[in-house]
Amino acid sequence: MVKITRREFLGQSAKVGGLVLASGVAPAFIKNAFSEDKHAAYLKANINWRQVEGETIKVLVTPAHYFNKFRAISPQFEDLSGVKVDFDIIPPREMREKAVLDFGARSGNYASHTADPMYLSLYEANKWVDPLDNYLNNPKLTDKSWFDLDDIIPLWRAADSVKGKLYGMPAEGEATIHVYNRELYEQKGLKPPKTLAEFKETAKELHKIDGKIAGAAIRGFRGAGQNMYIWPSLFLAWGGKWFDADGNPLVNSEAGVKSLEYYCELLQNYGPAGVENWNWPEIMEAFAGQSIAQFIDSNSTASIIENPKKSKMAGKTGYQRWPVGPSGRRCTSIWNWTMPINAVLPKKKKVATWLYIQWLASRPTQFSSAVYKETPDAVVRTGVNRISIWSDPEYRKVINFTPDYADVVLTSMREDTDSDWRPRVPQWPKIGEVMAVAIQAALVKQKTPREALDEANAAIAKIMKRG
Amino acid sequence: MSKKADPKKVRYEVQWERFGYAMISPSMIFLILVATLPLVSLLIMSFFRIDLTYPLDNGWVGFENYLEMAKDERFWYSIKLTAIYTISTVFLQVAVGLALAMAFFRGFRGQGVMRVSVLLPMILAPVVVGLAWRTLILTPEYGILDYVSILLGFGSKPWLVAPTWAMISVIIIHTWQWTPFAFLVFLASLNAMPQEPLEAALLDTRSAWQRFRYIILPMLQPAIIIVVIFRTMIALRAFAAIFSATGGGPGTATEILNLYAYRVSFNSLDLGYGAALGTVLLLITVGISLFFFRMRRSSTG
Repeated sequence: MVKITRREFLGQSAKVGGLVLASGVAPAFIKNAFSEDKHAAYLKANINWRQVEGETIKVLVTPAHYFNKFRAISPQFEDLSGVKVDFDIIPPREMREKAVLDFGARSGNYASHTADPMYLSLYEANKWVDPLDNYLNNPKLTDKSWFDLDDIIPLWRAADSVKGKLYGMPAEGEATIHVYNRELYEQKGLKPPKTLAEFKETAKELHKIDGKIAGAAIRGFRGAGQNMYIWPSLFLAWGGKWFDADGNPLVNSEAGVKSLEYYCELLQNYGPAGVENWNWPEIMEAFAGQSIAQFIDSNSTASIIENPKKSKMAGKTGYQRWPVGPSGRRCTSIWNWTMPINAVLPKKKKVATWLYIQWLASRPTQFSSAVYKETPDAVVRTGVNRISIWSDPEYRKVINFTPDYADVVLTSMREDTDSDWRPRVPQWPKIGEVMAVAIQAALVKQKTPREALDEANAAIAKIMKRG
Repeated sequence: MSKKADPKKVRYEVQWERFGYAMISPSMIFLILVATLPLVSLLIMSFFRIDLTYPLDNGWVGFENYLEMAKDERFWYSIKLTAIYTISTVFLQVAVGLALAMAFFRGFRGQGVMRVSVLLPMILAPVVVGLAWRTLILTPEYGILDYVSILLGFGSKPWLVAPTWAMISVIIIHTWQWTPFAFLVFLASLNAMPQEPLEAALLDTRSAWQRFRYIILPMLQPAIIIVVIFRTMIALRAFAAIFSATGGGPGTATEILNLYAYRVSFNSLDLGYGAALGTVLLLITVGISLFFFRMRRSSTG
C-alpha cells in the first residue's frame, strides 16, 4: 500500500520535473510554446492582464518552501502581465517588523507582503492596507467567475477579514494536527487518542520506552507565533473565551488555568529536554530523527517527514485531527499567509499588485506551484488555498502520505476552528507578547500557571483599556 | 603681533580655518545623520504616545511614559537583570583577562597559537556567537558543554531553559566573547610596564601572590579602570548574543533593559514607551561612564 503510494508520488514528481526542465532549461522555442500553453488557463479570465504593463512592484516574503515555489514561477506572471515583481526575502519575525516600519513611515516600499492574518486588525486600524472588495468587485480587475473567491478556504477568508471586509488574500496555509509514530503505537498496543486526556496518557506510555525517546512535543518557544500559536487551541478546547461581553479579558478563567496546567504537565513530564526553546522546525526534526514519539503541529511537516532522504519516519507516521478537549471541542490553529495591498501605493501599482495577488491565489497557480520542483529535492506544498484542489484526485495523489491525510487536514481546516481562535484585535501584537511570556514563565516554573495568567489578564485589561 | 597689522596673514588664517571645516564637515554631517538625529528623535519620541496597535490616541503625553515605568514590574525586573548581567560579566572579564595576561606575559611554549585562539571569539559577530552557543555548545545531551558535563558526572543541565541557568549561560557567553579585549589591554600594559620595580621585587623574598598583589596590580590599575569603563558600557547595551541565544527568555529570565526596550518597540509596537525605555538605558550608561571617568581622573591626578 505504502509502496504504491510512493511510486505514484515519484511518478508525479518526475512529470513535474519534466515540466520544470521544459520551462527552465529548454531552448527558447520550446519554452515559448510551453509558456503560451501555460497562459491558456489565465487567458480564460475575462480581464486584461496587460493593463499596467511596465510597472514594477516589490513584495516582501519569507524564505519558506512555498514562497520559493511562488517566486520560482513568478516569471510566468511577468510574462503574462508585463509587470515586474521583485522580492525581498526575510525570515518571518524580521519580515513583520520591516512591513510594519514600511507602513508606519508610509514609504510604500513594499506593494504587498506575506502578512500574518493576526496583524490585519492592526493594519486596518491604521488604514495601512486597502480592503480587497474594491478590487474583487471591479470587473476590469477581476473576473469573478474565473477567480471564484468562494472556492478559497472559508475560514481563512474569515480570518483575513476585518469588520466583514477582506483585507488579505490567502496564499498558503496550514492547520495543526496530531502526528504520531505508528510503529511505537502498534508496539505498545495504543490507539490514536480521542481526547486530550488520552493524548497525555499515550505520551506517558511512550516516554523513554527505549530510554531516550520523549513522549510528546508541542511548541515551547516564547512568541506570539510559537507557544501562543499552540496554547490557544488548548484554551478553547477547555471551553475558554478571550473576552466577556463587556470586553474584559478572561485568560485567567478556569479554562485558562486548567489548559495551561495541562500544557506545562505534558511538556515538563513527557517533553524532550530543551523543548522550552523549540518551535516547529525543532519539533519536526526531532520527530523525523525519532527522538520524540508524537507531536501536535502544522500539517506541512508531513512533506518533510514523509521524505525518506530527510526523515526516518517516512511511511511509519500516522496523522489525525486534534484530540477533543474537556469541553467537547477540538480546536486547530487557523493560519494562512495572506497578501494585502499597501494603501499608499499609486493607483497603477495597486492594480499591478492586485493582478499579482489574483494570479497567485488563482486555481491554476495554486495547483502548478503545489507540485513545482524549485530544487531537485523540493517538497510538495500541503497548504493550497482552494477546496477544489484539496478535493482534486490529482492533488490528493501527491499528498497521499496516508490514505486519510488529505481528509484529516481538510476536515481540520473546515470544522475544527473558528476565525477568533486567537483574539483578533489591533492590540494583538501586545496581547500575543504578554501571553507568550506568561505561558513560558509557567512552563519554566518562574510562576505557577495561575499566577502567570492572573498577571497576563491584568496586563491585557490594561492594554485594552488604554486602547 | 596684532592681526590687523598683517591683513595677509589674517586671510591666510581664515582660509586655513575654512579648509579645516571643509575637511571635517563630511564626517560631522555623517555623524549628525547617523548618531545625533536618531538620538534627538529618540528623546522626542519618548514624550509621545506612539502606539501602532491603537493609533487613535497617539500624541504628546509629556512624562507619562516615564511615570508608567515606575509602575512597570517588567521594567524593574529588567533593571535588576541588567545590573546582575553587567556586574558579573565585567568582573569575570577582568579576572579571567588578567589571569590570561599574566600567563602569556610569563611566556610558554606554543603561545603563538594559543594567543590567536584566545583572540578568536572577539572577531565573531555576537549573533553568530549566540547561535553557536545555543546550538553547538548548550544543546541538551548533544552540545559540547552539556556533553562534557554528563561525562564528568554532573549530568545534563538546563542551560538555556531554566531561568537561573539561562542567566548564567548568557553571562558565560558574553564573558567568553569579550574577555579577549581585557586580555589584550592587560597584556599590552604589562609589556609597557617599567621593568625595574618588578626586578627589584624579584630580589625581594615576597611570594608570587604578594608581588602580584602589591606591585603588578597597582601598576595595572589605570588599565583595569579603562577596561571596566569600556566593558561596562558594552555590557549595558548587550543585545545580539542574548537575542539569538535566549531571546530574553525563558519567560523574562534574561530580558535585560535593552531587550525589553526592543520587545516593547518592535513586538508590542509601542514606540513611545520603547523610546522612553531606550532613553533610560542611555541615561544609565552615561551616568555610570561619567562616574568611572571621574574616578579615573582622581586616581591618575
